[in-house]
Amino acid sequence: MQTVNIVLSGLGGQGILFMTKVMAQAALNKGLKTMGAETHGMAQRGGSVISHLRLGEVEGSLVRTGSAHFLLALEENEAYRNIPFLAKGGRLYANASPKSFVRQEVKPYLDKMEIVYRAIPAGKIATDLGTPMSSNLALLGFFSAFEKNLVTHKELRNAIDQVTPSRFKKINFKVFDAGFEMGTQ
Amino acid sequence: MMKRKDIFLGNGAVALGLVEAGCQIVTSYPGTPSSEILPEVVRLVKSEGLNTYIEWSTNEKVALDNAFAAAISGKRAACCMKQVGLNVAADSLMSAAYLGTVGGLVIVSCDDPGPHSSQTEQDTRLMARLAKVPVLDPSNPKEARVMARLAMELSEEFRIPVILRPAIRVCHARQALSWGPLKNNTKKASFEKDPARWAATPRFRFILHGELNEKLKKIARRFEGLTAHNFHDLEPGKKYPLGIIAGGIPYSVVRDILTEEDRKDIPVLKIGTPYPFPEALADIFMSACEKVLVLEETDTVMEYFLRDRKKVLGRLSGHVPSEGELAPQVVYRLVDKVLKDLGLAPFKGDRNQDALDLVASLDLPVRRPTLCAGCPHRASFFAIRKARPKAIFTSDIGCYTLGLNLGGVDTCLDMGAAITMASGFYHAFNQDQVAQPIVATIGDSTFFHSGTAGLLNAVYNDARFILVILDNEITAMTGMQPTPGLGIRADGSKGKAISLERVVAGCGVDFVEVVDPYEIKAMTKLLKKATEYVNSSTGGIAVIIARHPCVIAYPKEAIPERKSVTVTDDCTECNFCLERFECPALYHDEELGRTNINQSLCTQCGVCLQICPKGAIVEA
Repeated sequence: MQTVNIVLSGLGGQGILFMTKVMAQAALNKGLKTMGAETHGMAQRGGSVISHLRLGEVEGSLVRTGSAHFLLALEENEAYRNIPFLAKGGRLYANASPKSFVRQEVKPYLDKMEIVYRAIPAGKIATDLGTPMSSNLALLGFFSAFEKNLVTHKELRNAIDQVTPSRFKKINFKVFDAGFEMGTQ
Repeated sequence: MMKRKDIFLGNGAVALGLVEAGCQIVTSYPGTPSSEILPEVVRLVKSEGLNTYIEWSTNEKVALDNAFAAAISGKRAACCMKQVGLNVAADSLMSAAYLGTVGGLVIVSCDDPGPHSSQTEQDTRLMARLAKVPVLDPSNPKEARVMARLAMELSEEFRIPVILRPAIRVCHARQALSWGPLKNNTKKASFEKDPARWAATPRFRFILHGELNEKLKKIARRFEGLTAHNFHDLEPGKKYPLGIIAGGIPYSVVRDILTEEDRKDIPVLKIGTPYPFPEALADIFMSACEKVLVLEETDTVMEYFLRDRKKVLGRLSGHVPSEGELAPQVVYRLVDKVLKDLGLAPFKGDRNQDALDLVASLDLPVRRPTLCAGCPHRASFFAIRKARPKAIFTSDIGCYTLGLNLGGVDTCLDMGAAITMASGFYHAFNQDQVAQPIVATIGDSTFFHSGTAGLLNAVYNDARFILVILDNEITAMTGMQPTPGLGIRADGSKGKAISLERVVAGCGVDFVEVVDPYEIKAMTKLLKKATEYVNSSTGGIAVIIARHPCVIAYPKEAIPERKSVTVTDDCTECNFCLERFECPALYHDEELGRTNINQSLCTQCGVCLQICPKGAIVEA
């Protein structure tokens, strides 16, 4: 299999690490080789946080700029900040308003690079379901509605089941499924 | 034996390697990027029912001394820390290298190229060279696990402490590893008295130094043939215009780039054991290459050992940046430049400049880290600035360094320096008969780590300042490790809680008072009382313990009574709250023309009800 590079970004406290863990577990369950890199420490106190995930035969855990197949961003500005990671033909999924995403200045570059971008108001979905900190699961559900080749919706759901503490399972599934449904509409 | 496959954090891979090596004693002091090693050991020990002794020590020197004693009792021991922690343990390390061990002693010191969460980018490999102990440099979690075992075996065989140096991108990488049942090491402690060694005087130290040098020669020979970690892909008899020597993370980065670019014309020598350096192996590689590029983090180590200035390209020749992380795009560009400079085929191309220019043009907000909404430190800093606006604010290492954002932190040097620099400032100004107010802030864990020696010294030498110990009953920044004040040990069992009040009083301080910083008025009043005490001829150092639980570690206890907060039209947009209180839940709402509250970030702590000069922040 050709290496797949994924970058996950957002702000400290938004659950980037959890989202990475779910994707990595799903990939592992499929028998894919996984390597990831995370941000810990001071940046977790509200700063920009970024996670790298690489599937395939690789030595290093970091994604080089210009080589990511997917960018998942839990915050709009963090989506823009990390655009340089995306390869030509890459796909961008962001927690943002679908009406205003992306900013006009960004569009020509994304078009030139044939980058597909999709936005979901993941924060709003999570807040409406009473769990404002779970926008990560809404975004992941949304992602799973479009990207079936890498890991399927069901495979991601199983991975969530595996890595979620039991008391959060019900709510995590609820938010994940809501994101998925918005993607399938 | 059933093997299972799990995704391990790099630090978990190190923990697994240590436990697999039969490590019986593990000590540590938390610090990014090393903090997860000990908790991962705890996790493995609990799941496999092992009897490994595990402790959070009060600091890195304490951790190393404890592990050293176990190692000279014939046991296998390890201690884990971040790279600057090894500075604290340096005294112990230098001496332990001479004395040697009986069992195994592995020191895991995690480097932070970047730096991401440290005060320096220092390179542990240089510390190993200084101490004359072997150092292993893993390129990914899988290798870190194997090297943890190897380090323990080498240590026991050659009776020498061995350092394992994973960099942050190893520590915080995730990789799937197969592992199986783990067993207890049943080796019993026995200490054979030998004062000429274990309590050696300088005359014997000279002899021990000679012994150490002999050990290093033998280990260097071992490393020459250590093909699992030191290897190259030269074809016999072939000559190359350029070769690359790399270790650690830069090796995995450049390996991937060369694979992606399909560049079989550039051989790579990977070095997993930078010290003692496998010189003969390097000589073979060098003689097959016209030029050799050295890629290593963070400092210059192998490049010095190569000793051929005409052939070697690296930091000393200006081809590799001397600061910052060797991230894939950095390595890509610098290797590409070397290829072009040497007239070789360049890489396929890096079309990324457009994207970088685009992002720069967007003027995106810089996300600085900030104290959490509801953090008791924020309340403390607010009260301190209010009560002592003209003071010099010495501070320390922890979450509360972020008091910077509130103008409550002027200095941050090293662990414990809030106190030692406060006394230093006092004497510097006092010498000129200037009564400079000084307020020092230090966290509870940092105080236990290295506060007492400085406080004793300040009391003894009659310095005058206010010390505020920010006691949130946890080591928060590094991921919520318990402190001695809490009385909970690394494995969750009960230890004896150490009273901060008694320790401070024991340092000779006569003014020790406790306050809840959420009560800003009470704290401000106490700071004024402390000021009078500091300035009085019969006074001294005043210590205030600002005690309130961390809002992340103890959300219920930290905010027992939730208060819903709103902002009224009395707000005059003076921005006092935004600048001086700097809560992430407060923001300027352009549409409303006033400050507003982001309810999804607000923790309803209610502290901001006490801060608005116009009284515009009220309960909803």
